[in-house]
Amino acid sequence: MSALVPALADAVDSSRWHHGLAWVTVALCGAAVLPAGLRWLRVAQREHYLAGAATRFAMRWWRVLPVNPALLLVATVAAAASLWWPIAGVVTALVVAAGPLGLSLKGRTSALAWTRRLRTLAVVWLVLESAVVVTGVITGPASLLAVVAALAVPLVVDLACLVTTPLEHRLSAHFVDAAAARLARVVPTVVAITGSYGKTSTKGHVAHLVRPTRTVVATPASFNNRAGLARAVNEHLADGTEVFVAEMGTYGPGEIADLCQWCPPDIAVITAIGPVHLERFGSEDRIVEAKSEILTAADDVVLQVDDPRLADLADRAHEQGKRVHRCSATDRSADVCVLRSGDSTRVSVYLHATTLVEDVEVPTGVQPSNLACAIAVALVLDVDPSVIGSRLADLPSVDHRLQAAKAPSGVMILDDTYNANPAGAAEALAALGVTAASLDPTADSAPRRRVVVTPGMVELGTRQFDENRRFGAAIAAQADHLVLVGTTNRRALLAGIAMVTEGAVGVTTVRHRVEAVEWVRAHLTSGDTVLYENDLPDHYP
Amino acid sequence: MPEVAVIFGGPSPEHDVSVLTGLQAARGLTGPGGPGGNPRAIFWTKTGDWYEVDPALEAEAFLEGVPRGATKLQFVAGPDGGFSDPGGRLGRTRSLEIDAALVCCHGGPGEDGTLQAALDLAGIHYSGPTVSGAALGMDKLAFGTVVAAAGLPTLPRALVTAEGVPPPFPGPYIVKPRFGGSSIGIDVVEDHATAQARLTANPHLRFGAVIEPFRPDLTDLQVGVRTWPSLQLSAVERPIRASGSTDILDYRDKYVAGEGMAGANRELPAQISSELDKGLRDAAERIAALAGVRGVARIDFLSDGEQFVVNEINTIPGSLARYLWVTPPIPFPTLLTDLLAEARQRPTHAYSAAGADGTVLRSAGSIAGKLG
Repeated sequence: MSALVPALADAVDSSRWHHGLAWVTVALCGAAVLPAGLRWLRVAQREHYLAGAATRFAMRWWRVLPVNPALLLVATVAAAASLWWPIAGVVTALVVAAGPLGLSLKGRTSALAWTRRLRTLAVVWLVLESAVVVTGVITGPASLLAVVAALAVPLVVDLACLVTTPLEHRLSAHFVDAAAARLARVVPTVVAITGSYGKTSTKGHVAHLVRPTRTVVATPASFNNRAGLARAVNEHLADGTEVFVAEMGTYGPGEIADLCQWCPPDIAVITAIGPVHLERFGSEDRIVEAKSEILTAADDVVLQVDDPRLADLADRAHEQGKRVHRCSATDRSADVCVLRSGDSTRVSVYLHATTLVEDVEVPTGVQPSNLACAIAVALVLDVDPSVIGSRLADLPSVDHRLQAAKAPSGVMILDDTYNANPAGAAEALAALGVTAASLDPTADSAPRRRVVVTPGMVELGTRQFDENRRFGAAIAAQADHLVLVGTTNRRALLAGIAMVTEGAVGVTTVRHRVEAVEWVRAHLTSGDTVLYENDLPDHYP
Repeated sequence: MPEVAVIFGGPSPEHDVSVLTGLQAARGLTGPGGPGGNPRAIFWTKTGDWYEVDPALEAEAFLEGVPRGATKLQFVAGPDGGFSDPGGRLGRTRSLEIDAALVCCHGGPGEDGTLQAALDLAGIHYSGPTVSGAALGMDKLAFGTVVAAAGLPTLPRALVTAEGVPPPFPGPYIVKPRFGGSSIGIDVVEDHATAQARLTANPHLRFGAVIEPFRPDLTDLQVGVRTWPSLQLSAVERPIRASGSTDILDYRDKYVAGEGMAGANRELPAQISSELDKGLRDAAERIAALAGVRGVARIDFLSDGEQFVVNEINTIPGSLARYLWVTPPIPFPTLLTDLLAEARQRPTHAYSAAGADGTVLRSAGSIAGKLG
């Protein structure tokens, strides 16, 4: 201890920092910051510019075995050593430039898109990084602060996100005002849909059911936040539109209230509550609160009441004098009930316990609860029940949600890559079983195989390990082989598989989905079924 | 240096199809055999705004709305008007000097004379129908009446109104929007009362509806007509309906194949008797004159194999009907070059103030005197 103080005093003696080699360190660290910045800026863009994302992902990536933790250790030790030997900072620069191995600069699934918003963020980030280095140059320990700037790139990216968020809010105000003016001019009936999952599907169902009777515009996919909704109104809401179906997404409390302020709904829908984006909300109760903001302005409220929390909301809305439409996939006495008839592709619809249609064929990925909510909306919009019944016959399938297709090789493919929630995963496994059973037997009576390709589910916060372990156990019980993609949920899924002792389920681990697809092509033949469950973009380890 | 523009999109249900037609036309202009140059691509959004976009874009760039990198334009329908880029904060307005425009809009104000009138006021030469040709083509009742009055065979067609009487022909009927594209909002109904009920239930019938006898026994036959350098007819085509459930060529059959109209299934040339072929061609020539066809139009007939009736005209057909010109084969760039030549050399309007020489004003005395 007593040796440490003079050592530190020695370090702070600024004469050593203006050594020639120290400037080499500053230069190299400065250069290394640039590729590192590209990496973490891309992650921030993919994570919707939410502050904290870059740091979270940095922690995940630097823990990926076998090499990254070692690299991080080397970089940190070198950084500490640069207190005495500034040139050691060059090692840190090299590690930071190479980045966590596996996280590419350009990206495979989602390249860096130089949108105006990203450019603004990049400029702010660069300014902050430069500030750190310049502070070092002015006050003395230039190379030390340069090393810190290099190591802390993800943190600075997050700080830049935090700084630019209010700026972006002000910049988008122009478009939001134009959108509000357009809504005031066109005056459509606004249907706003939110929920932890099922929003996009329900929106599509509503548009399909209402289209013959009214001119309807639905927000395009993924336009569910402030900037997206304003853009949808400004570029898609033509003058004669009678019904505007808006999907409203949220990552935290207050966002939906903000949207409803300038786009107030006439009909509000909550499709489901689940642990989706749990990481950002904190708890499922906060999810319920955030979603319920959509109900405030609406006179008609459509809720999926199989979830007791939404049933409570329904009662409260009723007390507030709103017209409540309760939808269920189990309870026939609800206002709208859609029940699966036996196997998974036919449904029956009941309105206040009276049969509307029975045993109608619908595409594989259609969820009864989403369909029930959509039917309720159509009824509020005065669509004749007989029209609804006939429109069910050609309900379009939802992209990448349990879409069934047959490959040229005869292998049956269930594409559920857009699903990311536990309830959907369970449904998908059930559909896998049913689809496999419905296929013709293979020519040589070899046993049909059911294969699941998945990286697991993410953003489930504290529940992530448990939900993936449960999913792993379900896979072990209902499938024959698992192709496990990536490392994010590897431990959890394997733990789940280990829990189920009877029945052998093979496991293959791959780094990327591309390898999984190659495996499927090489090992599966006609008569086998493969389920692609969720798909993580490549900024996930 | 005056340039060529391709105008597509618009606030119409066939907005997406128009994007496909416009992008195909832009490629045709710059591809081999085309007039070359740098055509401007002017995109008309669903909400009525104008943008200049890169003509080499793919269809998916328009999926979310305005493609990235588009420049907002303003349009002034007056002399020294036309399209201009108001510029950024530095405010230097840059006019687009357009020598000729290929209009690739389908349905709505792009094909009913509204756009044509605006371009006339702005003094921009454009391809396709004039204001009156476009308006007549979009009005099924007016077109049907003109054709019937000229003695050409048509199905009887009547207006359906909420308080009207049943038509003088029996059901079942087909109900269509009076104004609008040929594939959206059509209904088959059993009787007149149901047709009247559809008036309030079907949003596309809001501005008027026509009713005709429903003849599922008749099949579609289509002929292309172009007017430059001289009147020319294409081969007769029989489009094939993909779905079995409805008996009418509907939007999905025509356009969801992926290439727009060019990708739909068809029998071309149609296997029909030479008498029928001659009858259709003679009728098409007469209709070209009656309807004031300019540019390229597609005339739709219904036939039982021996007799035929005139159904509708499309004054700006999907894909500009490029796939119809097979006997003799005319490459798409040639069609486009001819359309542009016609745009420049056959004027669409001639505003004249001749006769307003002041005489009336001079002899008017005082206005107060006229009113008092």
